[in-house]
Parts: sequence; structure tokens; C-alpha cells
Amino acid sequence: MSEPPPRRQSGSYHRQLDLVAEMSIAFASSHDLRETLQRGLAKVAAFIEAEAASFFLVDEDTGDLVCEACVGPVDITGVRLPPGEGIVGRVVGQNVATIVKDARSDPHFGALMDGRTGFTTRTILCAPLSVQGRCLGAIELINGVFRSGDRQLLRALGASVALGVINARLARAMVERERVARELELAAEIQRAMLPAALPEDFPVRGVNHPARQVSGDFFDILRRSDGRIAFAIGDVSGKGINASLLMTKTCSLFRCLAKTVECPGRLLSAINAELCETAGGGGMFVTMVAGLFDPDSGSALIANAGHEPPLLYRDGAFTDYPAAVPPLGIEPGLVPADMPETWIALGGGCLYLFTDGLTETRRNGRMLGEEGVRRLLAEASDLPAGDRPAFVLGRLLPRNRAPRDDLTLLLVEDRRGRPLLAKRFTATPACLSEIRRLVATAVLSGGCPPAVAADVVLAVDEACQNIIRHGYHGPGEVALEIHRAEDGPLDVQLIDFAQTVDVARIATRCLEEVRPGGLGLHFMRSVMDEVSFLPSPAGSGNLLKMTKAVP
Amino acid sequence: MSGRITSRKLDGGAVVRLSGEIDLQNSPDLRRELLDRVADGDPVVVDLAQVSYIDSSGIACLVEAYQMARRHGLRFALAAVSPAALRVLRLARLDEVFIIRDQVADALKGE
Repeated sequence: MSEPPPRRQSGSYHRQLDLVAEMSIAFASSHDLRETLQRGLAKVAAFIEAEAASFFLVDEDTGDLVCEACVGPVDITGVRLPPGEGIVGRVVGQNVATIVKDARSDPHFGALMDGRTGFTTRTILCAPLSVQGRCLGAIELINGVFRSGDRQLLRALGASVALGVINARLARAMVERERVARELELAAEIQRAMLPAALPEDFPVRGVNHPARQVSGDFFDILRRSDGRIAFAIGDVSGKGINASLLMTKTCSLFRCLAKTVECPGRLLSAINAELCETAGGGGMFVTMVAGLFDPDSGSALIANAGHEPPLLYRDGAFTDYPAAVPPLGIEPGLVPADMPETWIALGGGCLYLFTDGLTETRRNGRMLGEEGVRRLLAEASDLPAGDRPAFVLGRLLPRNRAPRDDLTLLLVEDRRGRPLLAKRFTATPACLSEIRRLVATAVLSGGCPPAVAADVVLAVDEACQNIIRHGYHGPGEVALEIHRAEDGPLDVQLIDFAQTVDVARIATRCLEEVRPGGLGLHFMRSVMDEVSFLPSPAGSGNLLKMTKAVP
Repeated sequence: MSGRITSRKLDGGAVVRLSGEIDLQNSPDLRRELLDRVADGDPVVVDLAQVSYIDSSGIACLVEAYQMARRHGLRFALAAVSPAALRVLRLARLDEVFIIRDQVADALKGE
């Protein structure tokens, strides 16, 4: 048998190279893999002068070979071959290109397709789509005069197609990840929207939530009722991630809805439990939750606790805890009866802290913070204005430069009947001193003090701020000011700055015999106030200035 | 309300009139004005009738100008001191140091 006569100029090395280059570029810039395969295939079939051609790709799930594109008289797109079946199966299995000169005498040839389509297969050239030892499928040409040069050409083309397929799959995965990320961001936004909107600065109930991932399994809610009382809740869904956050969203909505009509927190938890058991569909997920109702006028709260970390009341330097009365929600309807125990708490000027186990389980220096650690931290925070406490606690707990291990949520309920006449944080600059004086005067007068007392306190605060601006920060800086007055008692003024801690021993009043321009401020403060003391700030760095003034 | 500082020249010297609130915000302006007037070489009277508030930074300016005037042998007096300003001067016991007159004219004349 003689070699077939020379034909087509395909032999031209340059034209072969051009074809490989063209295909590589087409695949590298492809957005539609199937269309690129289809067009590439037509080009190759024409180039090698084959009657028909097809691309098969390995289905990543089943291992089947699936026809993704074909040219020729019969359309076999979508045809599936089990692994190892036919010439294509052999080529993919062995990762070797092959020429079959008489298909019907090859034991691997499956005549099934011919029988089904009426097509007659005589010769086959088949090469794997293979790159770096990984075989993704095969390219098959049918009924041509195939030579060994064609086999090499097809192998080279197969490699570039394989790269193209890998690229396209990576791109698709990336698009999918982007889509998931966008949806997560949307979910996180919905969750954030479920947290209570910004409350007035002096609102007695406040909370903060810091999710460990994009979406949180923790939640809290604060709801002002028309009768002046405040409904609040904190909860933690078992597990993390999307499932937990969906259950959180559901529980949060139920609370929001029910708290408007149901007064007793125990009945409220019972109703949420019934709803969760009915619709949450098992899955072993549950929700620990505390619901409560706070009456700012009497300074008392009624709470119900279902499997949640015991809330802590901090009052006069001591803690009282309120452990759970029933198991968590969402396990069984009967576990949380409508008449579940509730606890009545008189805050007595103290503060009730509710938090999730993200706080107790935070690790510091490799050790879990634990209940003791949380108590120490909360006691420390209690020296700060209520509005600053949540941020202070989270600031201490959040690891630097990385997300926390668990969601962190803190809610505090404060009895503010003895609330400060003024609690304000501001940037102390010479320009804002007159505004500070105005606020201080108004606050002191509103506390039932005579104008002379107001004038003294205004002078003392002004001088203290001047000192902070001039000697503490050497420029503008943050100052937290609080003025309290216990019923008919003296006025307490507290100024916290965050400048370098001042050596108290070096603060001296000037000698008045000596007439000189500076150093009068401290003398004024000591003259008009009954007590002036400089202490280290409870916040760690900075200074605390405490001043007291008796009210005649 | 912020403070205002105005000066006018009379036969017997310069009158610097302060009004409103004198504090760290405007005391640098007050210091400049007082030292400039003293540097002119005439007697200086500070009219404090309209002062609603003055703090240690404002008082410090008065002290510095007073010291400079004395070094130059010039008269430096306060006039018509408002109760708010007088209270702060007393706190610093400077009411014993400054020449204080009820009327601007008297302060200028050195009576």
C-alpha cells in the first residue's frame, strides 16, 4: 500500500504554526467556550480536510465523555460516552493521540453511532486535550487522509484547547464567587438594617454587634413602646455562616413583630419558640435568647432567659447574674411554656449587661476570657459614660488586624434616673470653648443650682479644657465631659482626656504673690471648686480630672 | 457670643475696650493689641464694662501688658470693670495689683 499522494498545502510548517497560534489566541480571549470550540473545530476540520469533527470533554462529575461541539453531516452534540468507551475513550484514558486507518477493524470502535445516524466512519484521527498531564477530553477528526504530521498538529492544538478550557472554567468559577460575594454583601446589608436604628445619645438601652464573618448569627434589638417602656432582646444562633444568619433574621423579625403587642417577655419567647419549632425544620440549630422589658421611670426590668449566657447586673461595684430558666428556642415546642419563669430586676442605679458567648469565649494570650474576665472588663467599662462602653469593650476584645473568632454582641440597659446633667464628648479647641461654657451653664442650672454655682463650674471647666488644649495635646484633642448631681447633693464634674498621662505631683498652683501672666488656670479651678483631683484615666491612657462643688 | 476688642486714641492715651467673652480663642488678639498700645508709649486704659466672661488666658494678657507698661514707666489701668471680670480678678487677687477706676476718664487722668 502506497502513501497517499501529496495534497493540501497543510504540510507547510508555517501554516500549521499559524493555526495553533490563532486557536490559542481565540481560546485565551474566549468568553463563550462552546462557541469558540465550535468555530475552532470547523477551522481544524477544514485545515486537515476531514469530513466531520467533534470535541469531547470529560464531565467532571461522572467521568463521561460528552460531545460539546461538532461539525459535519451529523450533529452529535450532547452525546455521552461512558468512561473508556470507543476510540475517544481510549485516547483520553491513555492520553495518547492516535490514527485509525480502518475504523471498522478497530476493536474499540463503537459502530453504534454510525448505526443510529446512518453515517459511515472510515478513518479517525483523535488527540487528547491535554496539558501538564491532565486530560480534559479529546478532539476527533473523521474521514480524512491522516498522516503522522497531522497527529502532531492535533496534539499541539489539543494542548492549547485544554488551556483554553481550564481558563474558561477558572473564569466561570470566579464569576460565581463574585456572585456569591455580592449576595453575601446584600445579606449582610439586610442584617445590618435589622439592627436597631441610631438611638438618641442619652438612650438608656444600647447595643453593639460585631460579626465574625460577613453575616452574623448574633442579634440584638431595642424597641421603644408608646407607653415609654423599652423592649429589648439579645440572641445567638447556634453555628455560624449563612444558615445561622437566616435563622437569626427570622428570630429577629419575630421579636420585632411580637414585641409590639406581647408584654411579658416569657410569653414572647414561648411564641417565638413555637414558631421556630414549626418552621425551622430541625437541622439541629437553635437560638439562645433573652427578651426583656425595661421601665426607665422605675429603673426596673422584667426579663426571660432561654438558654442564654446569664445577663449581669453591675451595681455598687458588685455583679448579680440571672441564669437561664428554660432551654434554648427552636428545639421543642413544650420546652418553653407560655408561663415560663421571668425575673424582675431593680437596677437601682446600676447597669444590666447582656452579651453573647463571643465575649466569654474570646481568647486573650491564649486563654479564654471566661465569665470572670468579662466581669473584670465590664467593671472597668462602667467608669466610662454609658455611650462609650460598648465601643470600649469591643475595642478590648477585637483581635488586631483580623476578624474575631465568633460574633460579638453586647447590650446594656442603664438605670439613668440619676443620669448626668451633661455627658458629652467633644474636640477641645479654643473655638469650641464658648459652646462648652454654654452647655455647662445650661446643665448646671437645669440641675437646680444657683447662677453663682453655674458661673464657678463654667470657669473651672473652661480652665480645665484650656489646660488640656495647651499642655495635654498641645493642640485640639478629644475630651469627654460629664456632670452629675445626686439628688440635692454636690455637683460632680468629670473630664477625661486621652493625652499623655500627666505626673500629678508636678501640678502645682502658682504662688499669687508673684505677679506673672501664666499659671492662673489651676488656681482658678481650686478657688471656685471644693475639690479638684487629677487621676489616671480609667480608659488606660490619658487623665481623669474630678471636681466637686457643693450646692448651697 | 464671642468677644470684641476695639481701641481708640484719646488725649490722655489709648483706650482698649473689651466686650463679650474673652477666652483662649481671642486672647492672642487681645495680647497683641495691648502690647502694641503699650509700645506706642502712651498711657493705656482697658475698659472692661461690657465683659461678660474672662478666663485666665485673658487675665494673663492684662498682667503681661501691665508689666511691660511698668518697665516703660507708663500708666496702665483698668476701668469700669464688670462684675464678671471683677470676680475673676479677685480670684487671682489681682484686684490689689491693678489700678482700677470706675470711669474711663478717671483712669486716664490717673485719679
